[in-house]
Amino acid sequence: MSVLFYLGKRLVFVVPQLLGIVLVSFLLVKSIPGDPAVLMLGPTATPSAIAALQQQLGLDQPLYTQFLIYVRDLLHGDLGTSWQTTRPVLEDLVQRFPATLELVTYSLVLAILIGVTLGVYAARNPSGWVARVTDFYGISAGALPDFWFALVLIFIFYTVLGWAPAPLGRIDMIVLPPMPVTGALTIDSLLAGDFEAFKSACAHLVLPVLTLGLLNAGPILKMTQSTMEKMLEADFSRYEVLCGVPQRLVVRHALRNALPSIVTIISVLYGFLIGGAVLVEIVFSWGGAGQYAVQGVLNSDIYPVLGFVLFSAVFSLVVYIVVDLIYFLLDPRITN
Amino acid sequence: MTTVVLPPQTGSARTAEPLIEVRNLRVTFPSSNGEPKEVLKGIDLAVQPGEIVGLVGESGAGKTTMARSILGLPPPPGRISAGEVLFEGRQILKLSEPELRGLRGRRLSVVVPNPRAELNPLLTVGRQIASMARIHLNVGSQEAQKMALQILRDVQIPDPERRLNAYPHELSGGMAQRVVIAMALICNPAFVISDDATSGLDVTVQAQILDLLAKLAADQGSAMLFITRDVGITAHFCSRTAVLYSGEIMEMASREDLFLRPAHPYTLMLLAAFSHSPTLRESWSVPDTGVRRQTRAGCQYAQRCPIAQPVCRAERPAFAEIAPGHFARCHFPVRPA
Amino acid sequence: MFRKLGLLARLAALRPRFAAGYIIVTAIALLAIAAPWIAPYSPTEADSVSFLQPPSAAHLFGTDNVGMDIFSRAIYAPRIDLTIAILGTLLSALVGGTIGALVGFYSTGRGIRVWLSFAVMRAADVLQAFPVFVFAIALVASLGQSIQTVVLAIAFVNAPIYLRLMRSQVLSIRSMRYVEASQVNGLSDLRTIVRHVVPNAMAPVLAQLSVNVGWGILLTAALSFVGAGVRAPTPEWGSMIAMGFQNVVTGQWWPSMFPGAMLAITVFGFSLVGSSIEVLADPAKRRQLLAEARERSESRRARREAV
Repeated sequence: MSVLFYLGKRLVFVVPQLLGIVLVSFLLVKSIPGDPAVLMLGPTATPSAIAALQQQLGLDQPLYTQFLIYVRDLLHGDLGTSWQTTRPVLEDLVQRFPATLELVTYSLVLAILIGVTLGVYAARNPSGWVARVTDFYGISAGALPDFWFALVLIFIFYTVLGWAPAPLGRIDMIVLPPMPVTGALTIDSLLAGDFEAFKSACAHLVLPVLTLGLLNAGPILKMTQSTMEKMLEADFSRYEVLCGVPQRLVVRHALRNALPSIVTIISVLYGFLIGGAVLVEIVFSWGGAGQYAVQGVLNSDIYPVLGFVLFSAVFSLVVYIVVDLIYFLLDPRITN
Repeated sequence: MTTVVLPPQTGSARTAEPLIEVRNLRVTFPSSNGEPKEVLKGIDLAVQPGEIVGLVGESGAGKTTMARSILGLPPPPGRISAGEVLFEGRQILKLSEPELRGLRGRRLSVVVPNPRAELNPLLTVGRQIASMARIHLNVGSQEAQKMALQILRDVQIPDPERRLNAYPHELSGGMAQRVVIAMALICNPAFVISDDATSGLDVTVQAQILDLLAKLAADQGSAMLFITRDVGITAHFCSRTAVLYSGEIMEMASREDLFLRPAHPYTLMLLAAFSHSPTLRESWSVPDTGVRRQTRAGCQYAQRCPIAQPVCRAERPAFAEIAPGHFARCHFPVRPA
Repeated sequence: MFRKLGLLARLAALRPRFAAGYIIVTAIALLAIAAPWIAPYSPTEADSVSFLQPPSAAHLFGTDNVGMDIFSRAIYAPRIDLTIAILGTLLSALVGGTIGALVGFYSTGRGIRVWLSFAVMRAADVLQAFPVFVFAIALVASLGQSIQTVVLAIAFVNAPIYLRLMRSQVLSIRSMRYVEASQVNGLSDLRTIVRHVVPNAMAPVLAQLSVNVGWGILLTAALSFVGAGVRAPTPEWGSMIAMGFQNVVTGQWWPSMFPGAMLAITVFGFSLVGSSIEVLADPAKRRQLLAEARERSESRRARREAV
């Protein structure tokens, strides 16, 4: 019972937050110069045709009316149309969002593996060389520009060594993509039993996942290290040592106590990466949602931008709620 | 007044091999000005098997430092700078960390104060107690659970089956204290240190816990070092008591000698604080000035001592035997009238 | 002030990485200033004959696909990148910090001010929920592409950080009794807050500033990389990387690698400086650092004496 109540409380706050996000992005995007009607019809359009399209799109209405129209359409599942692809934005996003999600999820898994492992190790041996390397890694990972690091990896592993495939999308052009079930090529190809497609998708995932994973392990690493250090110095850890508990058990218990902070930063990172993977998507021609939004901005195509902002905001909020729920269920101190 | 330090011996004629022997234990803490501050200044103490020895000291005297340092774990950032602890004749501070951990909790254990802060908040109490048995006694989890239940009954926790699945924050102070006692005793250790185990507890609960500790120690035949702030408590069951002040043992005597023939001015102050005689209280109760400057030379108590002489500030008194089994670190120990 | 500088110098000596940070930052700043005198070629002049030349004696970093000398461009670039990043960060700290301090000050008390501070905090939440890069690029697109708008974009994106920082500083100072006691009327409130908050907030703000300048450079480069920031042919690390993008795949790595490496090193230097300020400010970490250094010098002395 209390779980539902907690969920309900959280969802109540979600709605105004979403509304605020939509409003701000609407205003922002509306201020981008460029008349969508002109852009859609092209330079040869006649003024009357432009005027007709403007009326059809509702562009001749005052701003707040346009906003209300947008919100009304939103509630019907209509996110507008992209003049570049001439398709509904919802369709475009549904096609592209899984690409971003697949990339970001695998990258996050890699980042977690690297960050938590190194962080725990560095916390256990604060004066060892691992700790020093970890400190260096933490700072440099945040300093490297991801688009440049991606280029470095491409140069080494594709141009020089020839191990990686060309950075031209998610799958080899000669390989047929599997039936889209989830939108994630790795999962879909496994579901369809198509191992050629699976191998190709994995090969194309290696470099971008390495880029994002290695660079974003930094924050996870730092949080893990600092929280683990605090937990290992806490009273209960010292008491366990006093009781003769072997070190690996002490570390395991400390990690369990450190999980809330680590999970928090992972969830923040997850939400951030949906938009933060944009540059890597561009470098690898990934066809993801972030790339779609950036192209929208650069070409004054506003509905893709709005749609993407909404998608990523909703995604972040869902992640936060799921994480809060996990805490709620796991930490015995919160249930009361 | 000799300068030879004799190892403390019990009042009785037993000269058997002591179970625990602390020799010249020194623990230092770094301080803000760089000079390390000595918190334990050369502690000598011995406990015979099955004996209950008391250690009385005010806050800041070094009680917890002593309790944890005996097991090789001075509270950070403290360091053991000198001395040795012998357990059954072995020098345990020289052991490797895994070997020491084999001893801790199994043969040497500590009952800690403030238990709710020391227990792991994410594990049930039952799991924490059972894990002691699983780790040290190598029993399976089912057997460990049974042992945990039994020891919870032994510490007289009401409704022990339910308490096994409780989390530390759900317990009251008294119950949590019983839990850490259970954890300290479940492996039947030879030596238990009770570090101020009843501070912050209700008076009635205090009395229960004390009786419980004494009974369990007696039942299991464990020796105990009973550390407390209240000198009166030691009268209940400590056959010998040491008085700790500013990191040094000032007096060590049997129960009778300590209460009937106290020799050190500080002991007199402790006893006088609870005394009914106003003259006694006035003569011996000197308020703590609160200034704990590092006094290197001379007697550590000289600043507060009502009978201090110039020699007290100049020369550190030796730990001398003023009567059979009765030791005091004072240039002018009080003789019985 | 000089005492702090002296302490800084000692700190730098204690941990070589801090020294490295300051050296890097100083070097890049010097490059930015001295570029016209150091650069062998003009950063915008193209020598159409010698394009895509690998690094050589004549062209230290090689030339790009239109024939411009990469080395000259690379050392001219900090002028733009540093300027934009520093201006944007300072602006965000000033605006965000002031608003944050006000919010912290008015978050308790009478009526409408409390509501306003609550609204401002929720607005900051909304701002921070935006995907950073898309927001920045949208801002640049809506205000027109120029250096000023990039500065504004950096300011906008980072302002919430300083807002929260100053707000929490003000709130924690307010909760201390002696400040409560000295509150008599509105004017003395403000003066009290300023007098107490500013010295305490100095260190975290400075540390944050340093790190943010690094991020600002990254964001500028990223914007320029996609073509929404500094326009060619102005030398800027991000746009240089973009120009060399296709060449990397075909094997000419120098147009993109050198600017990127300089960019990374610069941001790295700023992060080091930021973390050194953090350690300097925290007395506990400072003590730890001094203790470590003492141990190290003691062990070194012991080893020398043993020989």
